[in-house]
Amino acid sequence: MSAKKKSAPKAKTASSTRKPLRRTIRGGRPMFFDDPAIDKVFNMVVTLGSEVWTLRERLAAMEAAQIARGGLKQGQLDAFEFNAEQIAALDAARKEFIGNLFRILEEQVDVARQRARKA
Amino acid sequence: MLEPNHSLKLRKTLDEKARMNFVSGIRAHVLNDMASGMRAVWDGEVEPRFRRKRRRGAKTGPEVHNAIKSNEYFKFYSSLRVTAQDLVWQSVFPPLDRERDQLKAEALALRKNKNIGSLTLDPKLEVPRYVSAIDVHLMAGNYDGEYDTDDVAAGALYDNGFAVFSFGLMGRNHDDIGQSIAGFIRRKYPHLKPKKILDLGCTIGHNTGSWKDHFPAAEVHGIDVAAPCLRYAHARAQVQNRAVHFQQMNAEHLDFPDASFDVVFSSMFLHELPKKSIGKVLAEAYRVLKPGGLMLHMELPPNSQLSPYDAFYLDWDSAYNNEPFYKPFRDMKPQQVCKDAGFDPKKFVQHVVPSVGWYGEQVLAEAATHQQDVDSDKTGRLADGVRWYCFGAFK
Repeated sequence: MSAKKKSAPKAKTASSTRKPLRRTIRGGRPMFFDDPAIDKVFNMVVTLGSEVWTLRERLAAMEAAQIARGGLKQGQLDAFEFNAEQIAALDAARKEFIGNLFRILEEQVDVARQRARKA
Repeated sequence: MLEPNHSLKLRKTLDEKARMNFVSGIRAHVLNDMASGMRAVWDGEVEPRFRRKRRRGAKTGPEVHNAIKSNEYFKFYSSLRVTAQDLVWQSVFPPLDRERDQLKAEALALRKNKNIGSLTLDPKLEVPRYVSAIDVHLMAGNYDGEYDTDDVAAGALYDNGFAVFSFGLMGRNHDDIGQSIAGFIRRKYPHLKPKKILDLGCTIGHNTGSWKDHFPAAEVHGIDVAAPCLRYAHARAQVQNRAVHFQQMNAEHLDFPDASFDVVFSSMFLHELPKKSIGKVLAEAYRVLKPGGLMLHMELPPNSQLSPYDAFYLDWDSAYNNEPFYKPFRDMKPQQVCKDAGFDPKKFVQHVVPSVGWYGEQVLAEAATHQQDVDSDKTGRLADGVRWYCFGAFK
């Protein structure tokens, strides 16, 4: 089957009646470790692993497509160097990414700051 | 991540660099953002509970530690920090394993062909147990691990890992401590004009070279017990055209004559030694110093001069980063330690030196004329705006 015949997944269409899909499990989630935080972190690690692998497959596809087109040589990407402007943009994006990754922990800090202000 | 700025740095693939950048970013997040979050959790959550229960505030670092260690934020801070510390070194192993044979060959060639400064190893030297028995700050193999003849791997691991670890705060040569302190001393004590300088526990000599930069006419020596670090240090100094003499020696019993140095320095060294050894090292420093000479140790600030929370914050490493001697050292009183080693208490000095990389030359120069307070959440903390603490005495 050629790739062209495959259709891309349908995009969301706006509708006033539709509800967001519920993703929280009713009846609770089984926990195994002594501290439920460990189960949560394990979930984060596996989710992150799945995102990382998705990226790697996508990158492999891009690299293979570029090589097939002659735009890139085998191994060329490994030797690639970003310029100063690109490094600065990546540094900022990485900082934001890390902030988002651990954002849930900052909810406790927000509450503590509010309490300290009230006291 | 700022990569080392010399030709011995490991060459990394795009993926390896990205991994290191990420670990560096996590370190910055924990030590800047989460550090301030943890302080807020202490102020707004844990400390008020402590007060209600005890009807007073916390008086010591251990009291803060006991009160906060069951808190979820502290657990995530600590777990993430330990993970990042591990990943610092893990991120270096793949390129190190690929390039270590070549690095060894480069170090040997430099010694043969260039031979600036010198390297003197002592194969009979017994590496003390406080180095051989633990992997300090979770660095597998520690400073002294050897995997080959003429091995330099441990030095390269430390140098390249340091770039990831310090998230830019130590500069590209990892010598912010050396540059800040040597630059400060040159301005603070213009009469000193040292002819011979000794750096104790110098590892890869990253802070030893700064003394050569600020006092080019001086003969600069660096000693350490770990041969692979010293071989690397000598090679590193040579590619940077710094003439430094590296010798394998134990700082507890130096193989130098009495009254032979004008400055005896160390950085981030004493806190890795047991108390008994610290006493011996300072007594040896006293012995090899010329009258009028200066002993100076860049270190973590003492607990007695910090607030209970800041004391707790810095002692984290002792409990969780394979630094068993860190807290006992920080519990010692620098004035007393110098006095016990034979120094006149009237000649005791301590300084808080702003990081030259962070604040610039102007602020460093101003610091030489204004004594700075030790008690601050910037003193000795590897985070934005760091100020380095040092203490010592004139002989």
